[in-house]
Amino acid sequence: MIGYIIRRVMVAVIITIGIAIITFAILHYLSPSPVYDVLGAKAQPSVVKAWNQSHGFDRPEIAQFISYLGNLLHLNFGYSYKLSQSVSALFKENAGRSAYLSGAALVLSLLIAMPLGILQAVKRNSLSDYTVTTANFVLYSMPSFFLGLILIQIFALDLGIFPPTVSDSITTTFGAITHPLQLFLPIVTLTAINIASFSRYMRSSTLDNLGQDYIRLARAKGLSQRAVLFRHLLRNACLPMITLVGLSVPTLVAGNLLIEVLFNYQGLGLLFFNALGNEDYNILLAYTIFGGILTVLGNLIADVATAAADPRIRFD
Amino acid sequence: MTKPPVELPPIGAGGFQPLDVAPPEGGEVQVIASGWRLAMREFASNRLAVLGLGTLVFFVLLCFVGPLVHPTNQTLFNPLSVELPPGGGHPLGTDEHGFDELGRIMKGGQAALEVGFLASAIATVVGTLWGAVAGLVGGIIDGIMMRIVDILLSIPFLLIVLVLATKINGTVIEESLLLGFFSWLVPARLVRGEVLTLRTRDFIHAARVMGSGRGRLVYRHLIPNALSVVIVNITFQVADAILALAYLGFLGFGLNYPATSWGDMLGNAQNDISSGYWWLVYPVGACLVIVVLAANLVGDALRDALDVRLRRR
Repeated sequence: MIGYIIRRVMVAVIITIGIAIITFAILHYLSPSPVYDVLGAKAQPSVVKAWNQSHGFDRPEIAQFISYLGNLLHLNFGYSYKLSQSVSALFKENAGRSAYLSGAALVLSLLIAMPLGILQAVKRNSLSDYTVTTANFVLYSMPSFFLGLILIQIFALDLGIFPPTVSDSITTTFGAITHPLQLFLPIVTLTAINIASFSRYMRSSTLDNLGQDYIRLARAKGLSQRAVLFRHLLRNACLPMITLVGLSVPTLVAGNLLIEVLFNYQGLGLLFFNALGNEDYNILLAYTIFGGILTVLGNLIADVATAAADPRIRFD
Repeated sequence: MTKPPVELPPIGAGGFQPLDVAPPEGGEVQVIASGWRLAMREFASNRLAVLGLGTLVFFVLLCFVGPLVHPTNQTLFNPLSVELPPGGGHPLGTDEHGFDELGRIMKGGQAALEVGFLASAIATVVGTLWGAVAGLVGGIIDGIMMRIVDILLSIPFLLIVLVLATKINGTVIEESLLLGFFSWLVPARLVRGEVLTLRTRDFIHAARVMGSGRGRLVYRHLIPNALSVVIVNITFQVADAILALAYLGFLGFGLNYPATSWGDMLGNAQNDISSGYWWLVYPVGACLVIVVLAANLVGDALRDALDVRLRRR
């Protein structure tokens, strides 16, 4: 087990370095030096040269990359010259609210999707199974922002229960948690999109397990349906969900971006979106690499957790 | 999703012999049909799949032939007919520039479909070649090629595409190249996996023992067998590319004026619905969902039809 974890961590480190190489190459290609952001577009060439020299932007790419990598190791994601703040500080300010949005949506969607998938599999080919499958299929094909728009129309504009966008007064994570009405629509939108893919897998995983001998044995022992499903089947059917949650990190990151823009919710996604308009490449690439590292971590944790939870997986 | 059993039509004079009926002892081995024909029949017997395919054909006709039937001005602002509700000469009303919304949907649909198919074609060609080479060559080159795929797959697709979209000109070709260039990773993995399992299968060994050369093995046996995975993937790629273009458009990094796509048309949707201009949001959104849904349906049905293990008989 320990050897397996060490090997997986080493692969993750290599992939992370690969991500850093690619993001650095893109950053370098799009914006070799932030000098014009600092000194203005009309800066004198000699001043530009001097600034680049003093800030190390005239060194060979490889040297710049090594110091970039060193900065990343110290969690220094660079400096936003447009916002005059370090990217790490900006991230620290916004990460809590984004994590709350994603986390709440992830937990809620798992809590709903797992029983839903089991129910669908147990009542397979019934009207309720077809209805849920169809709804999932439509949700799966729907851009998250469009679902959000429909929910805004119904619950904010027509019924007036929830605000159409998150109020600007929500500036802290604590504020976001203590104003559930404000965050209701964004969380529901993200949750619905996640349920669509999670319950699909839960259904097929449950179906796989229902046909196996240990379920037949449990039934033969005379256990009730409830005991069979919740004491025997649930644990086994949930195994693929670990991987799925690990793999859903990029979807969560992208979903956050669209939902935060749609509902005007101050988080990392909205920070990224505003940086797109400003061409603030340090923020853009920092968030991209941050998303990449989260993805690698998600995969790593999912692999190790699956290996720990499933004794059938061997480590050689 | 299970489908109702469907009677197969008879083939030729002999008629179709269902496989679950045991053949008479010593009976002749009868060729029912080739794998591809069986797959096509399986596909045609899936009503949802036919519906999906029909929907796609309908949208291709609507977007490319529709403008000939319902010609509209889509280049010059018309300040006199701004944001008109549906009715009169505008079945779906007009938008904030006075463009006819139905004509706009057709125009945006052209771009969505073009980018969808082009990006998916780019991704499929690159991915298939990459995966096939990695799988066939093996060894350290395979390792390096697949680590590159792992690295690129770990970068969130939407983020990297958006970063690069700040620098492109927003034409159909450029958007397709951008989306295609970051979508070939999944087909590459699929094809490599397929090639690796096919290489060890008995019929490949048999063909080799019978004296097939490398070229014959690749073209006659490996490619046709790996092709089903690729074909299934193409449809999903089309759906994903249309969605991705919609995301780019919604966030303001879609096609440049005068071109438009469905996502671009939804860029202002938040304000449109607050102002009550529902016809600027729901028809185009519905088109987007229906086309992606149809492509996903076709993909699912193709997977069922081409995967012998999933076949009902």
